[in-house]
Amino acid sequence: MPPSDPSSADWFADFGVNRSNALAVLAAATRHGGDHADLFFEHATTTSLAMSDRKVNRAFTSVDLGVGVRVVVGDQVGYAYTEDLSLESMLRVARIASEIARGGKAVAPVPSSPRALPNRYPIARTWENVALSERIPLLQAWEERAFSLDPRVIKAELSLADTDRRVWIVCADGREASDYRPMTRAFVNCTVEDGAVRESGGYNLAARNDLSFYTAERQARLVDEAVLRAVRSLDATTPPAGEMPVVMAAGSSGILLHEAVGHGLEADFNRKGISVFADRIGQRVAPAGVTIVDDGTVPFSRGAINVDDEANDVERTVLINDGILTSYLHDNISAKHYGVSPTGSGRRESFRHPVLPRMRATYMEAGPYDPREIIASVERGIYCETFANGQVQIGAGDFAFYVRHGYLIEDGKLTRPVKDVNLIGNGPKVLEAIQMVGNDLVIDESGWTCGKDGQSVPVSQGMPTVKVAALSVGGGTR
Amino acid sequence: MSQLEQLATKTMASLLSLGAEEAVVSVSEGTHTTLQRRDGKVEQATEASTRGLAISLLVDDRWSNHSTSDLRDDALATFMARAVEATRLLEPDPDRRLPPVQECGRGVSEETLDQLDPHFSERTTEQRATEAVELERAVAEHAPNGLVSSSTFVADGRSRAVMVMSNGFSGSHEGAWFSSGGEATLTDGERRPEAYAYYGARYRGDLPSPEAIAIELRARAHERIGSGPVASGTYPMILANHAVGRILGILAGPLSGGAIHQRRSCLADKLGETIGASCLTIIDDPTLPRGLGSRPWDSDGRVARVMPVIEAGVLKRHYINTYYSRKLGVSATTSGSSNWVVRPGDRSPEAIAAALPKAILVTGFLGGNSNAATGDFSFGIRGVLLENGAPTRSLSEMNVRGSVLDVFKRLAEVGDDPWGYSSVRSPSLLFADMEFSGA
Repeated sequence: MPPSDPSSADWFADFGVNRSNALAVLAAATRHGGDHADLFFEHATTTSLAMSDRKVNRAFTSVDLGVGVRVVVGDQVGYAYTEDLSLESMLRVARIASEIARGGKAVAPVPSSPRALPNRYPIARTWENVALSERIPLLQAWEERAFSLDPRVIKAELSLADTDRRVWIVCADGREASDYRPMTRAFVNCTVEDGAVRESGGYNLAARNDLSFYTAERQARLVDEAVLRAVRSLDATTPPAGEMPVVMAAGSSGILLHEAVGHGLEADFNRKGISVFADRIGQRVAPAGVTIVDDGTVPFSRGAINVDDEANDVERTVLINDGILTSYLHDNISAKHYGVSPTGSGRRESFRHPVLPRMRATYMEAGPYDPREIIASVERGIYCETFANGQVQIGAGDFAFYVRHGYLIEDGKLTRPVKDVNLIGNGPKVLEAIQMVGNDLVIDESGWTCGKDGQSVPVSQGMPTVKVAALSVGGGTR
Repeated sequence: MSQLEQLATKTMASLLSLGAEEAVVSVSEGTHTTLQRRDGKVEQATEASTRGLAISLLVDDRWSNHSTSDLRDDALATFMARAVEATRLLEPDPDRRLPPVQECGRGVSEETLDQLDPHFSERTTEQRATEAVELERAVAEHAPNGLVSSSTFVADGRSRAVMVMSNGFSGSHEGAWFSSGGEATLTDGERRPEAYAYYGARYRGDLPSPEAIAIELRARAHERIGSGPVASGTYPMILANHAVGRILGILAGPLSGGAIHQRRSCLADKLGETIGASCLTIIDDPTLPRGLGSRPWDSDGRVARVMPVIEAGVLKRHYINTYYSRKLGVSATTSGSSNWVVRPGDRSPEAIAAALPKAILVTGFLGGNSNAATGDFSFGIRGVLLENGAPTRSLSEMNVRGSVLDVFKRLAEVGDDPWGYSSVRSPSLLFADMEFSGA
């Protein structure tokens, strides 16, 4: 029977895994030596329900089970994984991972014992205990609301997905941690039609939480935002092209920080010397008043973790403090390289992937300005409100993000709605160009996912209203 | 019968006995290896053997999909029972049906598809290590000026998949893949611009030589030095062959049956209409020997067939799977793209560029997206300003925008240099009067 504590390492006993055979696998992994070795056990069950054409008519479930074995020698990594948790299979992949340390001398792993962790996502009920019959009415109510809000809504697609993920990390140095990581995500996407014009718009919410996350307010917001975004697009136009002042709305504008700053401060890029921020710790990189953090401790947030995927404690890391670059985001390898403590940023998509320094919840601390004052200060520019995706080139520092919806700012006022435009800039230049920071920090509740080296991890981002002196807007020139 | 086939057949029998009216069982296994080197030593070595099982079910007219990597007997039994039980709770969807067995099967033989390099099974750890060292050595010999750090990788994998459908169709398919490439980071004032060169192939021998990869990486790295934006305006755009996939990708959303059914496709009513220049022909060819997107059947089990997507500028087909063919009341085509082959022209991109007083050569993209409902797109670009074919400025911090409904009509010429290292096999393309935003 599963243990009552969903985060207990004993969960994996059900699959025939215990501390004794974990130790044997670690011994095989370190048979040629190595500075560090760890095992990452994972069991994740996912359920997704989808609704379209007024019917909850699609379901998807998945079970993902396996272990990743990592051996580290200096900054070199040997990695292997298997979906088969038999001792024989685990020993086989451990021997493969150990090859990175070939020629070294065996080191004996230290027996591990569990340790207590903070719980940043305490929930009353795991998702496996929520019947489909409890979820179906939610989707039906959301769809009903979408069609009732505006007669121009002609189609609605909705989904509700959740995951119960258990991980157990066992390190050769005797450290051990287990974590239960819930996740839920709801999507609403609407198509609207007005005469010959057709548009679509969507919104989603996500959290490490249980069914109680879907409060009446959130359920209403989920649907209302989707419909509003679709309807607003009907009248929106392409903005003009070229460099202009940009005001980033509070909330999901944190995508600017994620792309312009966050990736460049992941320490693996810096220890290799390939980030535009390499060797800049202690230097001024932004005006005074700009403080940017990456925080794994925001309760229930999508980017929260109780422990990182190397069994390190998780912290709120101040990256830029009052304009001065103070820290990178570290995993064990980079922390050792720089002689600092890990920041609890070692993450991986699953047991199939080695650890990398990753963001968690990245946001800018609030400043002194009223958001209305910020908008009023712009004679002609763009107000960016909702976003689809972004990307960065770590070394050049160039980054981009795609604005789904926004407004033109003319003479200090929001005027015409604009849509579907890519904005591009350079990270260090944009940091220097931050002119006003609002007093209205919002950490966005949407389900952002960060990609790096072929791995996707859930993240959060946030921002107060911020004015940037100039970004290049990919608008129309005709 | 192989273990995979036995597992698939046994799973199908269990699902039918649990009450499934129709079902599809897919079982796969594979191996993959990646060896990455940086600055003279191994940075990361990854190796795995992987397996998984996926099922689709029709129970009481209700449909669902499920997958698992936990293949223990007891776990599978529980997985299947829960899947059937969950399906019964859904609302009926009478359009969910498997295709008729006559429409399922192998379009071309495994031999013709030629997906499995016969030398794959002979590969050794030492051989991979040697290949990685040789590539790293070549990159060092052809190092770009101002190199800060470079990394190289060699990777390969092999997979085998079995599909069993309750309509009577079953088959198996096997393939291998190889990939190699490098990254280089340079100093350029306060910037450290990076360049990449990645290649994929079904046969190891079809990848470029280490020296060719190193020379291409150096050229791409040098192209990034001193980059910045030029003035916003309309310019001819030459899209490098290896970068075409991003622009052709804006067709994928609006061509899909799902988008058409949800009425958010700007191409829904364009079948038979001219949406591109007469020099544009795109063929979806799942039968291409050694093609990275080749397959014997699609995800519905339908026979893989060559399909024109755009012929001389005229839109010929949408991507309609079995489900959406019933929903929309139209014939099924195929469930998704395989290899996209763009018919080449007669001139090299260099000859095309030489005839233009000024043009922007786009060699890569940064961010950006498109709207399937309206066709609008906006992408960040990297590239070079060309004047009479000669590079005069490295470009960054610029965007290009347009519409799916317009951009392919601006196609002025197709190059003679099809890219052979991805499932999009396109030559370089010249577009007239594209809207660029910059300084």
